[in-house]
Amino acid sequence: MAAGPYNYSYIFKYIIIGDMGVGKSCLLHQFTEKKFMADCPHTIGVEFGTRIIEVASQKIKLQIWDTAGQERFRAVTRSYYRGAAGALMVYDITRRSTYNHLSSWLTDARNLTNPNTVIFLIGNKCDLDAQRDVTYEEAKQFAEENGLMFLECSAKTGENVEDAFLDTAKKIYQNIQDGSLDLNAAESGVQHKPATPRNPITTDQPPNKENCSC
Amino acid sequence: METIVEENIDPNDLKKFEGLYNEQARRGHISEKTQFDYAWCLIRSRYVSDMHKGIALLEDLMRIAKDDLSQRDYLFYIAVGFVRIKEYERALKYTEAIRKIEPNNRQAQQLDGYIKAKMKKDGLLGMAIVGGAVLALGGLVGATIAAVKKK
Repeated sequence: MAAGPYNYSYIFKYIIIGDMGVGKSCLLHQFTEKKFMADCPHTIGVEFGTRIIEVASQKIKLQIWDTAGQERFRAVTRSYYRGAAGALMVYDITRRSTYNHLSSWLTDARNLTNPNTVIFLIGNKCDLDAQRDVTYEEAKQFAEENGLMFLECSAKTGENVEDAFLDTAKKIYQNIQDGSLDLNAAESGVQHKPATPRNPITTDQPPNKENCSC
Repeated sequence: METIVEENIDPNDLKKFEGLYNEQARRGHISEKTQFDYAWCLIRSRYVSDMHKGIALLEDLMRIAKDDLSQRDYLFYIAVGFVRIKEYERALKYTEAIRKIEPNNRQAQQLDGYIKAKMKKDGLLGMAIVGGAVLALGGLVGATIAAVKKK
């Protein structure tokens, strides 16, 4: 983008939640690096990733907080929910227990985010259809009953991974456009960056700490 | 990794987990989880004294950690704590210890890389300051010689 001190117009904050081992970090990695991490160890605390996407010809920077599924981290990671514009709630289609725990994750997501936070349900590992333990229809119904968006994905093959992250952003953007998401609210999870430069001479170089002479 | 290391905790969150910890302390038994929650919050505090306290609580947990997974988690946040108080050499000892438990742990590798980059940058900065001082001193000596010659 030629105008503005930033090369994006919005920042959306996302969180990724769900049981241990459902593939949250692999989904993030697939989305940001377009690669599958095999033998990924359990996340320590939280991980962070970013990627700039485009919705309705607006550049949007996604800041994604990937939380550890281990119970040890659950209490403190709750503080990362605050101010999330999007929440990706993940279960593993081959492990029923991870699906059964969704109501508890959903309760946390609802209680700790704002009413406009877009919650997207992801059934991960859909490449392992032979080991399926939760049907698509059942999860789809759960999503509909709870007003969630839903897709089955595979962090391994990449199937539907982009769509899950992008559809969430489209929904958030739509909420901004129709006025249901108030950008001035403290915890909207969205920051708007001025698209036009205050100083027309400013180049489109992002502020760079490394070049700081201080 | 920079975001993870440099992120500060909301003081209200710290207060909340401090309250839980103090309450258990009053009752005479602090659970491993409560101690960890409080320690993780402390190392993300803005205050160096809190970071030191957080590291001490985590080191205490290391002594009772039963499995590799909890050891790994404690080691990681001790390392983060030492990075935050700029004790990079000590931080590296902990990322190395994680490598012994999980040789391919990406978070530990990233933290390790981040610490080394910091050390390099600080080292160069240090040299730049010394270099600057030498130049300034040289200038002073030169000026003095010039002044003496004038006389």
